[in-house]
Amino acid sequence: MASSESGAPNGQRVESTSAGAGALTVGQRVDRASDTAQEAWSRTRDTVSDLKDRLDIEGRVERNPYGMMAAALGVGYVLGGGLFSPLTARLVGFGMRMGLRLAAIPFLENELRGLTESVMNGAGESDESSEGGERKSHRRGTNKGGKGL
Amino acid sequence: MEMTEQFEKTARDIEERIRPQIEDAKKKVLDLNSQAVSYIKENPGKCLLGAIAAGYIIGRIARR
Repeated sequence: MASSESGAPNGQRVESTSAGAGALTVGQRVDRASDTAQEAWSRTRDTVSDLKDRLDIEGRVERNPYGMMAAALGVGYVLGGGLFSPLTARLVGFGMRMGLRLAAIPFLENELRGLTESVMNGAGESDESSEGGERKSHRRGTNKGGKGL
Repeated sequence: MEMTEQFEKTARDIEERIRPQIEDAKKKVLDLNSQAVSYIKENPGKCLLGAIAAGYIIGRIARR
């Protein structure tokens, strides 16, 4: 497109296009660009503040400071490429082992308790049955004695 | 009997001697904890960025 420039009385250069879309001074173009930039800046600021409100990082840090620090440390660790490393494998393995042990302890405790109770009950019943047998034999003996008399 | 009494006395002495030190250490740890929490609450951005940087360095070291 062919364009021609001419000097304006206020020192601004007027740029006109051969298509006749309208003559715009450089100042007007600068104004328009600055308006657009301001609009974009305000939009970005609004978006950032909206994101800040939604994430509520300060509130989260206020409520749980150590948890947020640990989360940030984890994010940094992942960003640093430590996710698929031998240290992570070792840590995960240790955590799994500990978790399994902690989960298995109550189960084993219950099983042992049940076993002990059943053994104790069995022993009690056998005691009672043996005592009953003795009583029966005693009774038989007395009966025999009674018969003998 | 005398032996048991002497043993009990020694244990009591040790407990009396150690208890204030344990209390002091407990107080110091609690103070440190409250200081750390207040610092994190005052400078959340700085602390989070520092934690991310520390994690990044640890991750880089672990990757090797």
